[in-house]
Amino acid sequence: MRFRNWLAILAGVLPMSLVVILVFLTVYAWPAIRFNGWGFAFRDMWNLGNLYADSVTSGGVSIQPGAEYGILFLIAGTLLSTLIALMFAIPVGAGAAVFLAEAIPGQLRTWISLFVELLAAIPSVVFGLWGYVVLIPFLGHHVFPFMSSTLDLVPFFGGPPGSGYGLLTAGIVLAMMVVPLITATLRDALVSQPVALKEATIALGATRFEAIRYILLPRTRGVLIGATFLALGRALGETMAVLMVSGNALNYLPQNIYSPISTMAAFIVSQLDSALQDPSGLAVKSLAEIALVLCVISVAVNAAARLMLAAWGRRLSTVEGA
Amino acid sequence: MKTTIASARPKRATTGLKLLAAAALAAGALSVGSTAFAAQTQLLETGSTLLYPLFNLWVPVYAKAHPGVRITTQGTGSGTGISEAISGVAQIGASDAYMSNAQMKVHPGMLNIPLAISSQMVNYNVPGLNNKHLNLSGPVLAGIYSGTVKYWDDASIRKLNPGVKLPHKMIVPVHRTDGSGDTFIFSQYLSFSTQSWNQHVGYGTTISWPAVQGGIGAEGNPGMVNACKTTAYCVAYIGISYKNSTEEAKLGEARLQNRAGKFVLPTPETVQTAVQATAAKTPADERISLIFAPGAQSYPIINYEYAIVNSKQPTPQHAMELKKFLSWGISAKGGEASHFMRAVGFVPLPAAIARLSENQVAKIH
Repeated sequence: MRFRNWLAILAGVLPMSLVVILVFLTVYAWPAIRFNGWGFAFRDMWNLGNLYADSVTSGGVSIQPGAEYGILFLIAGTLLSTLIALMFAIPVGAGAAVFLAEAIPGQLRTWISLFVELLAAIPSVVFGLWGYVVLIPFLGHHVFPFMSSTLDLVPFFGGPPGSGYGLLTAGIVLAMMVVPLITATLRDALVSQPVALKEATIALGATRFEAIRYILLPRTRGVLIGATFLALGRALGETMAVLMVSGNALNYLPQNIYSPISTMAAFIVSQLDSALQDPSGLAVKSLAEIALVLCVISVAVNAAARLMLAAWGRRLSTVEGA
Repeated sequence: MKTTIASARPKRATTGLKLLAAAALAAGALSVGSTAFAAQTQLLETGSTLLYPLFNLWVPVYAKAHPGVRITTQGTGSGTGISEAISGVAQIGASDAYMSNAQMKVHPGMLNIPLAISSQMVNYNVPGLNNKHLNLSGPVLAGIYSGTVKYWDDASIRKLNPGVKLPHKMIVPVHRTDGSGDTFIFSQYLSFSTQSWNQHVGYGTTISWPAVQGGIGAEGNPGMVNACKTTAYCVAYIGISYKNSTEEAKLGEARLQNRAGKFVLPTPETVQTAVQATAAKTPADERISLIFAPGAQSYPIINYEYAIVNSKQPTPQHAMELKKFLSWGISAKGGEASHFMRAVGFVPLPAAIARLSENQVAKIH
């Protein structure tokens, strides 16, 4: 076969694998999808049913009596922890990028930038362990009680401060994992901006801060948005670190920012072993349905990001053209 | 031919390939100094974190006397123990729970062999009261775990503890996230003592915990101890073999109300009394709950610690070594010796039960 054909096959395999994964998940989870219906996304109930009773048949699907599956609390936990992570990570990440690109002199900049990039390579389980051993006792004993008493009247910030396991802790750990992603990408973009632009701005009497604020940052906004969506994708699917610090809440929505949560990815890991105990097999198929939902949400978020970037790019080019 | 874990018929083709590759590598690496290991049989034990400390005591002693077998132990949760014993990844699945009727129907070749009798503590972390032994009952614990009993100074808890000054603090119930025999026996205690729990929640290695604001999930018995240590005002159920850890973490240990209405701590005596009250009903396949035994001095949460074993082993070599090890484990001079049992807080099997276990071990081939 010709080299070109080989390349074509190789290039085709990649996009195909996304389709194959989605099709596999759908086919495998089909009995669960039929049994759970649309309520799957809107109920707060994960119940394998009575595992010590005989399986019964309901609507053509073999189930354990009392089985019911709904994952609203997981969807909420996933989206909320990701949201908190991004709220921390975007300002910190962008600030660090500006600092690295503009405020530090040559040799030192190279070294610190290298460290930031290495930070992105740390396995998530390491962040999780650190969160479990260091962050949780610290936040749970000192920071959260103080926050909840001073912010008592602010919605979602008052109320029981919990134990350190929960939404805010998960958000902070996730933020630490995605900050390097944002910083490294944005720093590269800032450094690669034409020097003449900055020099011209300063020559016009602007301070260095103004040059960054009004000229450099707006020009790299697209990169920041792109990096943010990369970070979003990583935070949505993060498993181990969240599993270790989230408190693994079951069947309820968080009442404030300190409440325990669980996320879809973490739940699949923590429940797979239990689900295998279900003689009807529906529990594992319902986990596959969670994977499908997670897949669809992640793909949708990434697609939305691309569309936004494309739209933004068009607007930018018309502005520059004019 | 060396026997390794890899020869234990893995379930899926991909795992099979991986294991095959691993086996090939291992065979290559070992062939250099293979004479010493030529006849060694590998057995893998995995599952219950409650049984794990006992296996850790047993294995070094057994291995010293039996160089022909190498036993690897892991604490992964009873759920994993059962499923890996079924799939053949592990030869011994340690579990605090027996397999359900439905599971037995799907896998009729599996054996549930009791190795010892365990009990479960209910621990708490209420600053100032951890050295006190608060009284708790099944209905009150069911209330805590279903969110109707919210504060430590709830009327129902005060009623059980006259004269104790309880704080007005929210209770944080901690449960296991992994499939767990501890969850199984704890939820059985709640089911057998509290009708509403039995109707709405029931029991199992994994149950659908009612939504309790603030309630947290933890992994394994060590995870339970740690979660409760770092979380003031928690309640957790922890296997007796972790008594050293709970004492180190300075957790409180509750007296539990038994069927006769008395409040008792898990001691060798109260566990022994409960065993005598219930063990006689044990059927030949030994799948039975010992929870909530009658008798004024019976501790309410006790259970058989099971080795879940496939009666059909991959090779005669595996079957022979497995039988030898399990027989040693349930013999009074071997694994049931009091220094083993005392170290982990277990109670040895009564002679009649040991005979039943022996009969089951004989079925392995």
